[in-house]
Amino acid sequence: MLSRLVLTSNPVLLLLLSLVQASRSFHQSSQSLAPVPPLPEKGGKVRHGIFPEELFTLLYPKTGVTGPYMLGTGLLLYMLSKEIYVINHETFAAASIGAVVIYGIKKFGPSVAAFADKLNEDKVAKAQEVKDQAMASLAQGIEDEKKEQWRVEGRHMLFDAKRNNVAMLLETNYRERLHMVTNEVKKRLDYQVQLQNLHRRMEQEHLVNWVEQSVIKSITPQQEKESIAKCIADLKVLAKNTQARATV
Amino acid sequence: MAGRRAATKAIDWVAFAERVPPNQRAMFNSLKTRSDSIAAKLASLPEKPATIDWSHYRSVVAKAGMVDEFEKKFAALTVPEPVDTQTAKIDAQEQEASKTAAAYLEASKARIAEYEKALEKFRNMIPFDQMTIEDLNNTFPETKLDKAKHPYWPHKPIADL
Repeated sequence: MLSRLVLTSNPVLLLLLSLVQASRSFHQSSQSLAPVPPLPEKGGKVRHGIFPEELFTLLYPKTGVTGPYMLGTGLLLYMLSKEIYVINHETFAAASIGAVVIYGIKKFGPSVAAFADKLNEDKVAKAQEVKDQAMASLAQGIEDEKKEQWRVEGRHMLFDAKRNNVAMLLETNYRERLHMVTNEVKKRLDYQVQLQNLHRRMEQEHLVNWVEQSVIKSITPQQEKESIAKCIADLKVLAKNTQARATV
Repeated sequence: MAGRRAATKAIDWVAFAERVPPNQRAMFNSLKTRSDSIAAKLASLPEKPATIDWSHYRSVVAKAGMVDEFEKKFAALTVPEPVDTQTAKIDAQEQEASKTAAAYLEASKARIAEYEKALEKFRNMIPFDQMTIEDLNNTFPETKLDKAKHPYWPHKPIADL
């Protein structure tokens, strides 16, 4: 069972399976644990690409480092000498094919593995990004909700403001009424005063006119002639005096 | 003549402005301008009206007793305070608002609970590189391929690839 994340629509699946490079992982133990523990990144170690390391470890205590090699050589010579394996033209074909395959794998293996790994990692990174974004937006959503709750708490301010407005309007109205009353009373009193003044002025003027009229009427024509004659005499004297003064 | 009215509470307009959500800012601004104009008008009126100089009038006005009569009536006159019809309505509005606010808070808390649950799910999720396809389908049900509807690979419409 592939334990790497194999997201859908992975066209490199077949390519991965055909690679022997140690970038794929094997299920090492036969036990099944739940939850699945993290699986190893690399597969079992092998020597020369085929022979598992366990063989060498097995033989080391008895035969040392060269044990498995001697075993391999011995087996090979036995098969050749006893003609269990017969050398024929297929042998050369196998050898050449083997050489080319090994050369190809050694040269291009790592880059292909890196390419496949990168494909996988891109998918994982995308999924991770989606997850991060989702978590960020959720956290942001929680923050916003808390802020809105805080905002709601301040609703009493609105009503305080409204009540204040109402109270201020009432007070303004009341004061306006007071002022109006005072002003009206004042206006009435002032009117009376003005009226009195007007009366007095009219009386005064009328009296003055009347006195003037009576004085004019009382001047008799006799007195008028006398006063005109006196005025002419006075004027003559004045003229003489002024002439005298002018010549001097 | 000195009637009394309910004392106005000092309003902290700055704190109030902070609590206004951006989509209601226009309403808040109009409320503020109105309140400010009312306050200005109130401040422009003196609290007590100008006193009338009765002695001066008594000496000037010739008609006997007129000034005295005016003075008596003036002192006896009480200006009725304007009746407050709106405060009750405002209180009723406040009750309404409290109720809707409580409902909104409930809904908000429910939403927060939902968000928290989803966040928990995300936090307790196993990392992507240790998931199998089954785990992925369990965590995100929308990734499950419908093998009944599309029996042949790739088990989803080609356009969705």
